[in-house]
Amino acid sequence: MWGRRRHHDNDDSSYKSKNLHAERRRRQKLGDRLLTLRSLVPIITNMTKETIIEDSITYIKELQTNVNILQEQLFEMEASAQEAPEPRKEEVDAELMKKFGIQIGVDVAQIDGNRLWVKAILEKKRGGFTKLVEAMTYFGFELTDTNVTTSNGAMVVSSILTGFHCDTLLHVEHTREVDARDH
Amino acid sequence: MYVDSAAGACNFDPNNNPMSESAPEVVLNNTNNNSFAHEEDLRRISMEEELSNYHHNTAMEIEQLQNEMGFGTLDQNTSNNPHLINPFENHQATNWDNNNEMQQQLPQVPTPDLLSLFHLPSSSVLPHSSITFTNPKSPGCFPGSFGFEALPETPSGTAASSVMYDPLFHLPPQPQPPLFRELLQSLPHGYNLGGSSLFSNGGDEGEDGSRQLFENGVLEFSKEMKPLGRGRGGNKGTKHFATERHRRIQLNGKFSALRDLVPNPTKPDRASVVGDAIGYIEELKRTVDELKLLVEKKRCQRERSKRHKTEQDVGAGDDESCNMKPLIDPHEQSYNNGSLRSSWLQRKSKDTEVDVRIIDDEVTIKLVQRKKINLLLSVSKLLDELQLELHHAAGGHIGNSYSFLFNTKMYEGSSLYASAIANKLIEALDRQYAAIPPTSSY
Repeated sequence: MWGRRRHHDNDDSSYKSKNLHAERRRRQKLGDRLLTLRSLVPIITNMTKETIIEDSITYIKELQTNVNILQEQLFEMEASAQEAPEPRKEEVDAELMKKFGIQIGVDVAQIDGNRLWVKAILEKKRGGFTKLVEAMTYFGFELTDTNVTTSNGAMVVSSILTGFHCDTLLHVEHTREVDARDH
Repeated sequence: MYVDSAAGACNFDPNNNPMSESAPEVVLNNTNNNSFAHEEDLRRISMEEELSNYHHNTAMEIEQLQNEMGFGTLDQNTSNNPHLINPFENHQATNWDNNNEMQQQLPQVPTPDLLSLFHLPSSSVLPHSSITFTNPKSPGCFPGSFGFEALPETPSGTAASSVMYDPLFHLPPQPQPPLFRELLQSLPHGYNLGGSSLFSNGGDEGEDGSRQLFENGVLEFSKEMKPLGRGRGGNKGTKHFATERHRRIQLNGKFSALRDLVPNPTKPDRASVVGDAIGYIEELKRTVDELKLLVEKKRCQRERSKRHKTEQDVGAGDDESCNMKPLIDPHEQSYNNGSLRSSWLQRKSKDTEVDVRIIDDEVTIKLVQRKKINLLLSVSKLLDELQLELHHAAGGHIGNSYSFLFNTKMYEGSSLYASAIANKLIEALDRQYAAIPPTSSY
C-alpha cells in the first residue's frame, strides 16, 4: 500500500490527477471493509490495519476448530444413536392419492426431431424420482428442462427429454415400463 | 571657523590694503601736489616694506607680481588679493584634512548613529521571518552561534551550526561585516546590548531581544534549510525504506494467509480478500450455531429415547408415567422448535456454485453448473443418500449452464447440517466432471 503510494509520487501530475479519484475510492473501499472485519472479530491486540488482519486470521482458525469439534461430536452422537431417521409413512401418500383421484400415468409428446415432452405422475416414494431419471438416462435421454412437483402424496414430473432416438411410441412404452417397475 | 581664522589671520592685510590703496589713491588724487606725492610715495614704500616684513612668506611673490604686472595701484590690488587668497587656500586644504579625520572617527560615536548604519542589514533580515521554526538550541548558546560571527573571516561557533549558516553568506551586504565586528568587539558584553537595541523593537531585556534575534536568524535559515533537509533526508530515507519494505512484505504475507483460509477466493486483490473473509467469518458463525443446535437436538433425542426405554423397562403399570410421556415430548419438542434452526452458506468450485439454505428441517438447494453434464441423476442420488425428500424441483438450460432449484425436506431425526450438504454436493459434481462425459452437442 505504501509502496504504491510512493510510485504515485514519482509519476506525472497528469497521471496522478487522472487516477487520484479511483485510487482514493479504492483505498476507502479497503478501509471500509477492514472496519467491517474489525467489527466482526473479537480483537485482542492493537487496532492497526496489520493487526486486524492478523487477529481475523486467528479468529477464523478458532471458528474452524470449533466447527470441526462440533462436527465430530455430532458424528459420534449419530453413530451411537440407535434411531435411524425415518421418512414419512408411505401409506399415507398412497391413500392421499386415491382420495384425490390422482392416477399414475405417463404422457409423451414430440416437440421436434430431437426432443420429447414427458409428463409422469408417480407415487411419491423414496428414491422414486431417482429411478425415473435413471431409466431416462439408460435410454439415452437427458432431462434438459425439468419440473417436479409433489402434492397430496403424488409427484408430477414434467420434462423435456433430448435424445437420439425419437420414436415417440417407443418411448411412451418405455416410460410406462419404467413406471411399472417402480411400482 | 577655519575660514574665519584664516580671514582673521589675514586681518592685517585688509587693514593694510586700504592704507596701501588709500596711499596710491591719495597719490592719484594729489598728483598735482608734488610734495604730497613724494611723501605718499615714501609712505607707500614703507607700507610695502611693512607688508613685506609681515608676510615674509609671500614677499617674493608680491615683488614678482609687481614686477610682472608693471602696473601701479591696480597691480598692488591684484597682487595683494592673491596674497590674501593663498593663505585661505592653504587653510582650506588643512581644513579638509581635518574633516576626513572626523569622518573616520564616526563609528566611535555612541549607538544612535549606528542605528542608521545597521538598519540596512536588519531590514534585509526581517523579510525572511515569515516562516516559523523552532530551534532546540538554548538562548545561552547562540551568542557564539549567531551568524554574524560565522562570517567567512571569523571562525564559526559550533560544528552543527556551520552547515546551517551557509546560506547566510549571501545575505549580509559586504561593507557591513567589518563594522559589525568592530561593534561586537567594542561593546562591553560583546553581544547582548547591541543585539537588543539594534534588532528588537523595544525589547529591553537582553534575553528577549536575543531570542527575537535568534528567531529571526533561524527563520531565514529554515527557509534555506528545506532543500538541505531533503538531501539529508535521503540518507535517513534509505533506512526508512528498508523498514518500510519489510513492513510491506509482512503485510502482504498476512493478506495471502487470509486468502488461503477463505474457501472461495474470488479476486486476488486485497479488498476482495477482506470481503471474502467477512463473508466466511459470518458463515462460520452460522455453522457453529447450527451445529450447536444439532448437538443439542441430538442430545435431547437421546434423552428422550433413553427415557422412552427406561419407561418401558419400568413397567406398563405406571399409567401416570405413560401419561406423562406425551406431556414431556411436546415440551421437549417445543423446546427444540423454539429455537428455529436456520443456516445458509455458499460454496463455489471451478464449475459449480452451490447455495444451501436450511430453515428448521426444510432444505433449499440452488445449483448452477457451467458444463453440460447430466447432473440431475447424480444430484438425485445424492439427495437420496442424504435422506432428503424431494418436494419440488425446477431447472434446466440457461445459456451455457444448468441451473436447478431443489426444495427438499429432511427426514425426522436427521442431523444434517448445511456445510455437509454443500460439501458433498460439490464433491459429487466435481467427481463427475473428472470423468469426462461424451461430448454430445444437442
